Amino acid sequence: MIYLQLFLEFFHIGLFSFGGGYATLPFLYHIAETQMWYTTKQLSDMIAISSITPGPVGVNVATFAGYTASGVLGALTATASVILPSLIIVIIISKLLEQFKHNKYVKSVIYSIKPAGCGLLAAVAVNMFLSDMSVKGIVLFVVLFCLSLHKKHDPLFYLGVSALAGLGCSFINS
Amino acid sequence: MEKSLWNIYKTFFKVGTLLLGGGYVILPLLQSELIEKKNWIDNDELCEYYALSQSIPGLIAANVSIFTGYRLRRTSGAIAAISGMITSPFLCIILLAKILEEIIALNFVQGIFWGVGIGVLVLIYLAVKEIWHKSVVDKYSFSIFLIVFLLSVCLKVSPAILIVLSIISGIILQIFKNKRENSVKEDKE
Repeated sequence: MIYLQLFLEFFHIGLFSFGGGYATLPFLYHIAETQMWYTTKQLSDMIAISSITPGPVGVNVATFAGYTASGVLGALTATASVILPSLIIVIIISKLLEQFKHNKYVKSVIYSIKPAGCGLLAAVAVNMFLSDMSVKGIVLFVVLFCLSLHKKHDPLFYLGVSALAGLGCSFINS
Repeated sequence: MEKSLWNIYKTFFKVGTLLLGGGYVILPLLQSELIEKKNWIDNDELCEYYALSQSIPGLIAANVSIFTGYRLRRTSGAIAAISGMITSPFLCIILLAKILEEIIALNFVQGIFWGVGIGVLVLIYLAVKEIWHKSVVDKYSFSIFLIVFLLSVCLKVSPAILIVLSIISGIILQIFKNKRENSVKEDKE
């Protein structure tokens, strides 16, 4: 039963991948090796593609695997399965927080995890910056940064300008 | 704007459509759509949801969307938010699945991919600046920020572990505060 298999594999990913970002990748490679839904080569393409398609990598790969395994219905099954554990866990935590929001310990914990969340996001930015930085990358970064100082823009503005810049660079190179 | 389920779905549909280059962009997108344009939540809450999302299983963007949706309209809001968030990604992959390899081979697609990566970096930097003011408010929160940042960048410690450590630190802080209050009371007596 292909739908049950898709459900089990992707529910498993949703339940056990901690920390987001690329935490799902080891699981996805494991599926490529054990199931016939996609090959490792297809997965690498898929990961590259998911940076230019909307949505988190995990959702993109789930949709893709489900689709290649069993069409649109398979895609729907896999996508829903990877989200379902989050939905259950987050709703439970939200309910608990609502109930205990005036508790001193809960307040103190929230006060402590906020700077930690900020630190983690700053670390993401630094790691991204260090992982692939070229001269043209730094130039584009500085240009966008200066635009942000001048006036507050919509995120779409930055994505649009940077996509156009990338498009321009690829034509100059070729 | 009214927080109806349809409006929540539409807002997250837009966020899901613009969610390029990895799930972290969810933060700047929610800041722009939900905080600045609609005033539905504030930076303080968003920062809390982001930190909590890191400490539990699941995709960050999905977790943050569900937390936010729940905050707006409880369980039905959570479902509306996550459905909206994944609609565009879902349709996009189904349409592209058959021509995946052809797309990857195109030179200009690689160029766009590179450019968007830099754009995302700027967006994340701006998001950090926004939540900084709400989360780093005194010496204690600054030291948490610094320790988490350094452990994450230099030693690549997993985000889940760092959040659990800061949860423990919050509990210890409260225990100390309780003791101090008790001793002040005893002194008065």
